[in-house]
Amino acid sequence: MTDFVSLLTTRHAYVLFVLLSTIGLYMLIANENLVKKIIGVNMFQTGIFLFFVSSAYRVGGSAPIVEDGGGPYVSPLPQVIVLTAIVVGISLTAVGLALSIRLYSEYGTLRADALREVIGDE
Amino acid sequence: MIPPVDAAPVLQSVGITPIEIALFVFVLITAVLTALFRDVLAAIVVFAAYSLGLALIYTFYRAPDVGLTEAAIGAGVTTVFLLLTIAKTTRPATDELFEPIDWPAVAVCGLFALVVGSTLFAFPAVGDPLSPILQNGEVTGYYLANAYSETGAHNAVTSVLAAYRGFDTFGEAVVVFAAGIASLLVLGREVFTT
Repeated sequence: MTDFVSLLTTRHAYVLFVLLSTIGLYMLIANENLVKKIIGVNMFQTGIFLFFVSSAYRVGGSAPIVEDGGGPYVSPLPQVIVLTAIVVGISLTAVGLALSIRLYSEYGTLRADALREVIGDE
Repeated sequence: MIPPVDAAPVLQSVGITPIEIALFVFVLITAVLTALFRDVLAAIVVFAAYSLGLALIYTFYRAPDVGLTEAAIGAGVTTVFLLLTIAKTTRPATDELFEPIDWPAVAVCGLFALVVGSTLFAFPAVGDPLSPILQNGEVTGYYLANAYSETGAHNAVTSVLAAYRGFDTFGEAVVVFAAGIASLLVLGREVFTT
C-alpha cells in the first residue's frame, strides 16, 4: 500500500505518462472515426514525450541555459530528442490526415467499420 | 565513523507539488473528454486545450524549448491540420454527447496500463538529483560544461540540436520533406507535373 502511495507522490509524472498513453491507445482501438484515431496516435506520443521530459527533471534545477556559476541544470538530452520527435510526429499526422482525405474522396466515409465493409465488397 | 555525504545537497525534497496536481488533473480531464466526445469538432478543440496543458507541464519541468514547440505545433499546427481535414471531409451529425464505451478495448488498454505501470516501481523519483540520467557526467555533463565554449550557444538544447547532433536534425528535416511530398502525392496536388 505504501508502495502505491509513494508511486503516486514521487513518480506522479510517470503515472500520468501511463494514463495518457493508455487513453491514446483506447482512442486508436475504440473510435471508428479516422480523425479521432489520429488524435489518439498523437495522444500516445505526447504521453511518451512527457515521460522523457519528466525523466530529465531535477528538483531545484534550472533550464539548461548555461551560464558561468549557474546550475544545477536539468538534463538537456531528453529535451533534444523530444523536440525532434514532436516534429516527426506532426509529419506523421499530416500524412495520416492526407490519406484520410483521400479515402473520404474515394469511398465517402471516414468510419473504419464502414470502410472495411466497402472495401470488402469490392 | 563518518556517514557518507551526498554529492549534491538536496535543496528541495522530491514529491508532487500543487502546481503539478492542478496541471495533471487538467490534462487528464481534457484527455478523457477528447476520447469520449462523439462530435469530432469538440474533440479537436478539447485536444488543443490538452496540448496547451502539456506545454505548461513541459515548462514546469524546465523544458521551455519543448513547451514552446508543443504550444506551436501541438496546439497550433496539429489543430489547424485536423480542422482542415474535417472541413474537407465530413463532421458527422450526432445527437449524443459521448461515444458509447467499448469495454473489450477498455480491457486491452487496462492490460497495457498494468504491464507498463508495473515497471514504474523500479524508477527513481521524478526530479531525484541522484537518478542515473542526471549522474551521467560523460555525456550530459560534457554537453553542459562545454556547450558554450565549443558552439557559442548558451542554450545547451540548441547547441546539441544544431551543432553536436546537427546531422540528426538534418535527418529530421528530410523526414518533414518526405512527409510533405507524400501528402502532396496523396492529395493529387503535385505541382511539378505537366
